[in-house]
Amino acid sequence: MKISDTIRRAGRSLKQAKARTLLTSLAIGVGAFTITLSLAGGQGGRDYTDAIVKANTNINEVSITKKMPVSTSIQEYSGESGGMTDGFGGSFPTITNADIDDILKIDGVSSVTPNYDPSVNYVTAEGQKKYVAAISTFSPSVTLDYAAGSVDGDLKSGEIVLTEDYADILGFGSPENAVGKKVQINTTKLSTSFSTEPEQKDFEFTVKGVSSASGLAFRSQSSMLISSNQAREIYTYVNEGTPAFGKFILASVIVENPDRANEVKNVLDGKGYDAQTSEDVLGTVNTFINVLLGILLGFGALAVLTSVFGIINTQYISVLERTQQIGLMKALGMSARDVGRLFKFEAAWVGFLGGAIGSGLAFIVGTAANPLITEALKLGDISLLKFDPIQVAVVIIGLILISVAAGIFPARKASRLDPIEALRTE
Amino acid sequence: MIEIKGITKTYGKKQNAFLALDNINFTIPDATTIAIIGKSGSGKSTLMHAMSGLDRPEVGEVLIDGENILTLKQRKIDAFRASKMSFIFQSFFIQPNETCYDNVVLPLEIAEVPRGQRRAKVEAALAAVELTDKIRSKAANLSGGQKQRLAIARAIVNEPKILFADEPTGNLDSTTGGIVEDFLFNYAKVNKATLIVVTHDPELAEKCDAQIVIVDGKVQSITGLEEKAKETEEPEEEKLLEAGETEELLEAVNERSEGDDQ
Repeated sequence: MKISDTIRRAGRSLKQAKARTLLTSLAIGVGAFTITLSLAGGQGGRDYTDAIVKANTNINEVSITKKMPVSTSIQEYSGESGGMTDGFGGSFPTITNADIDDILKIDGVSSVTPNYDPSVNYVTAEGQKKYVAAISTFSPSVTLDYAAGSVDGDLKSGEIVLTEDYADILGFGSPENAVGKKVQINTTKLSTSFSTEPEQKDFEFTVKGVSSASGLAFRSQSSMLISSNQAREIYTYVNEGTPAFGKFILASVIVENPDRANEVKNVLDGKGYDAQTSEDVLGTVNTFINVLLGILLGFGALAVLTSVFGIINTQYISVLERTQQIGLMKALGMSARDVGRLFKFEAAWVGFLGGAIGSGLAFIVGTAANPLITEALKLGDISLLKFDPIQVAVVIIGLILISVAAGIFPARKASRLDPIEALRTE
Repeated sequence: MIEIKGITKTYGKKQNAFLALDNINFTIPDATTIAIIGKSGSGKSTLMHAMSGLDRPEVGEVLIDGENILTLKQRKIDAFRASKMSFIFQSFFIQPNETCYDNVVLPLEIAEVPRGQRRAKVEAALAAVELTDKIRSKAANLSGGQKQRLAIARAIVNEPKILFADEPTGNLDSTTGGIVEDFLFNYAKVNKATLIVVTHDPELAEKCDAQIVIVDGKVQSITGLEEKAKETEEPEEEKLLEAGETEELLEAVNERSEGDDQ
């Protein structure tokens, strides 16, 4: 019997038991659905993290903190150690200006910028109330979504990027109206003396742009952004004269060539710094996604495994029910190999139907859900579920092969049936 | 021509051994209708299975046109059955949920008949049993007689030279059974096919050219086979005459005369 005829007859045989075929296929479909959706999520997730890392980190940048000293015994206090308290009785080792000078000497390092992020009291605009403010340093390598205005290159001193919420609460009406307007940020100089009245200062900024919330941003989206120089100016005003002045928890090391980022990282590691390149950030997030993907694929595989027993059961019953038909086919000259093939192709059809139903449903659900997920997570143009036709085809082909494997046992039983006995079966 | 030589078949082993066929010998000329008659358990169906290669007796030969099919490999026997033989069973064995077309096309698929020829062959077979209008009907919707006619259509669609019918009218009333018998005998006559009917119905057996009675696995009597053998020899001479092969014809006549004289 020609293979094409066997495939066609296998399909026709399944049509005779539509409900049973559909139910068995649905069991496989659950696995196909889970696996297809997981793979789409994994693919989309990796693209998403890639976009996040590209949007938030500079490939030339290595972020550093000082390593926590590992000690098993109580250390003698040293006034020079200059750590920052962590609020739990311990202290963070900090990066000093001397450390920065030392790092600058490393081959391949072009600059080192400590993280100033000064603490301020409030922000206000003309005729408006005062609001608690959070400020971060603007980085030209970080991609921002702007609701209005934009920053070309780096921010200058005296320029600020507001968030949509600040633009609204400060009474500008719309992000567009805020651009070019003035805002004031008030800060208090820290003093070691409690006897004098705390000194305060207003810093005035012109709004250069208004950032919109984005699911791609790592940093706090409630922070307003000012230039690095301006941040240092405020930081110096606030902290000068205190023990914490000139001590930083975090610094960013810029390398001349991104290819040397790992080499610089290793040198920094030897000098007692925990260093992280943008690749490390991407790797960490991807590891998390891969673990999640693995768990989901595990559930999918479990569903497929369960359905395998369903196929064996269904096909075995089918062989028992069709014993006379098998006997007739053998009497008419159908070889044992072709009889076995017929049942294997029936199993393959079940696998194909299950795969097509499951993957098709996953595609429909995923395509329908994508805009909602993108909207909810504010991902812009990124789809979190990304269906790769080749991946879907591989899933379906894989399920067909698994189904054929599941059909081997019933097919063997069918092919070995004695036609005379089969024809005598009531 | 089918030659059965010394067929012996035993079921079971040692104390449980049961001799189903015991040294069966006979020869069936081409285009013969023959009935194998016997009671239930006499061995007539076992004989049919051995003659068709469905079963392999431990002793004996089944020569079809000079070739012992029992020595062929299983795949060759399968292919032989697909191209030269067919079966009709008492229980019809049709697929009720398939259409009449799908039921009848099965032997053509098994024999790997080119797809382009199948439709015409199925239509011709259904026309032969007067079921042309049912080609797209589900087999389940046919009456008992129609189902057996459908089974006949399936059996004759690939124009087999040997047709086995195992109690073909056993499940039918006498009128319907008569119609089915007519279809079978008509096919054998028109196509010069050998029809081997396994039955315990004496009336059906009487309609055949020859009868073999099987009792307890042994041939009790054979009638009509010798006469049929003589009949089939004569037309050979007629054929030669028609073809203008005068020399061969004279040779054949002389040989026969010499044989008769002796």
